[in-house]
Amino acid sequence: MKIILVGNPNVGKSIVFSYLTGYSAISSNYPGTTVDILKGKTKFGSFECEIIDIPGCYSLEGESVAEKVASEIINSKNYDFIFNVVDSNNLERNLFLTLELMELKKPMIIIMTKADIARNKGIDIDYKKLSEILNIKIFPVIATVGVGFDNIKNQIEDIFSSKKILENSLNIPKDSLEKWKLIGDISRKVQKIVHKHPSILEELEEITTTPSTAIPFAFLVVFISFYLIRFIGESLIAYFLDPLFNNYYMPLVERFSSYFKDAFLKNIIFSNNINPLEGFSVLTTGLYIPFVVVLPYVFSFYFVLTILEDIGYLPRLAIILDRFSHKIGLHGYGTIPMIMGMGCKVPGIFSLRILETEREKIIAASLLFLISPCVPQTAMIFSLFAKYPFIYMFLLFAYIVLVGIIASFVLNRILKGDSSDLFIEIPPYHMPVFKNIFLKIKVRITQFILEAVPLVIFGIFIINILSILNIVDFLSKIFSKLSIIFSLPSKTASIFMIGFLKKDVAISLLIPFNLSLKEILVSSFFLVTYLPCLASIFVLLKELGKKTTIFVIFFNLFISLFFTKIFWIILSFII
Amino acid sequence: MAVKLIDSNFGKLRIIKIIGNKSLVKKLFSLGIYEGGEIEKKFSYKKGPVIVKVLNSTVALGKNMAEKIIVEEEK
Repeated sequence: MKIILVGNPNVGKSIVFSYLTGYSAISSNYPGTTVDILKGKTKFGSFECEIIDIPGCYSLEGESVAEKVASEIINSKNYDFIFNVVDSNNLERNLFLTLELMELKKPMIIIMTKADIARNKGIDIDYKKLSEILNIKIFPVIATVGVGFDNIKNQIEDIFSSKKILENSLNIPKDSLEKWKLIGDISRKVQKIVHKHPSILEELEEITTTPSTAIPFAFLVVFISFYLIRFIGESLIAYFLDPLFNNYYMPLVERFSSYFKDAFLKNIIFSNNINPLEGFSVLTTGLYIPFVVVLPYVFSFYFVLTILEDIGYLPRLAIILDRFSHKIGLHGYGTIPMIMGMGCKVPGIFSLRILETEREKIIAASLLFLISPCVPQTAMIFSLFAKYPFIYMFLLFAYIVLVGIIASFVLNRILKGDSSDLFIEIPPYHMPVFKNIFLKIKVRITQFILEAVPLVIFGIFIINILSILNIVDFLSKIFSKLSIIFSLPSKTASIFMIGFLKKDVAISLLIPFNLSLKEILVSSFFLVTYLPCLASIFVLLKELGKKTTIFVIFFNLFISLFFTKIFWIILSFII
Repeated sequence: MAVKLIDSNFGKLRIIKIIGNKSLVKKLFSLGIYEGGEIEKKFSYKKGPVIVKVLNSTVALGKNMAEKIIVEEEK
């Protein structure tokens, strides 16, 4: 049995998918989280089912990429059953898609989400009556806490077995305008809206959307977010992870290393200095960097981002940034990939799909690589700069943002065409559900550990071998010629090569080199901007094709080299 | 009196005309914004975006779109 999960954007399809299949899909409170098609297997009674979660769409004639993908699958009729997910808060708008689906004459049920929120808002829906009018079985659920899914599981087998092709008692008009009229009639029969006093969330809505208060509020949110990320990250390191590592793990490694007599082997595994921040030991540096230095920030960043995401603040930020974004050839929603990219570039690149034109995608992709270092990179920068006054780190980030803006101004000039217009649905604010938040953080942290840890260890291993074989010196000599031109410290040559494989790792490996403040600033800037990491290059190739990828890479490399030099010149005056 | 959505007052409005190509009309349509329909203008930034309430949802429209929607104030 092949089932498709269809619904408007941001109705909670992903979370319904998780409950039905047991897979954890990432859901967020803004439209367009699911741009990929997710498949999951589950069993309802004796029926083996494949559930396919397709991107949210408002109608079967949608214009965005996600909507086109969705309508292609829906129109193919290559499935047995439709689960239509409908947001109770927005019955009318959701019913438009429902009516279109009913025209396909495929068996379907309706899952109505956010039933609790609707009730609190004073929206009272007579599900039974609605079910009678449409002649479709309706299941109200509260997806965030999992209420109502048992009903589906218990009854779905009967519905499957009955094999009844649902005859629509309802006469669905072909014309869209008539459809809206019919929806008006239906909603008058089944829905009562009682006006309630605005809740705290609705008042927050006023504050964060009225221009005069929204902009100062946005500054406040961004400031508090950065402060929180740093505070949580630093506290975890200082009071928990660093003591744990030094008091319990280091003595073990020291004892272990004394058993090694062979100098070559010892050099590879423990390097010449066992201190994690001075040498390049696989067993100390290799674990200290990912677990003690980076992981706390990965956690604190995702903690803060996930809360903002779940409450539904990001689209409001996009609105505020709309006017400015037009100056660099994007509309406000073009900032979402950048915000996502601060976590990891890969989901950032995927979210480029919410943009419509090739031009916008190129600008956003280039800006994504230049302007938003991913969490591990940011964490590394935090720890690199921990011993310097805050102002220097701020200077680095400000310079990165400035260069990004200049670059996108340039792109906006050289690429033909105009920016398209912002057009988004703003989701209502939700109280964050901590279970959901921790699930998401868990998924993201697991990904980080599985990917980053082996690569850090591998990278250190390679550096040790290269330095034993004197290859590092050789490379440094070649690189030093280049580095004179661009003012980069030549001893870091090996790092810039590793950086191509994994950028965040590369920055972390700057720590043991004993660089001056000026060198740290310039190298960090260069490492953040010069090349996208290998993983994101692959994803970009898949998403935007060869030509665009090559263009973005070379454009960014040029910008990066040029502005590294400028940075050095500027810093020569300051420091 | 008919005015562009971007210039109109706040409050309940009736859509008189949408000037624009078919794809724009379709796009607006699927969210419930169509000629003859009702919207409520809630907030607006000077040069866009305009934030309107349509059916039960809140939608942000960029400046160019808000210039292509002609509305009339409800009496």
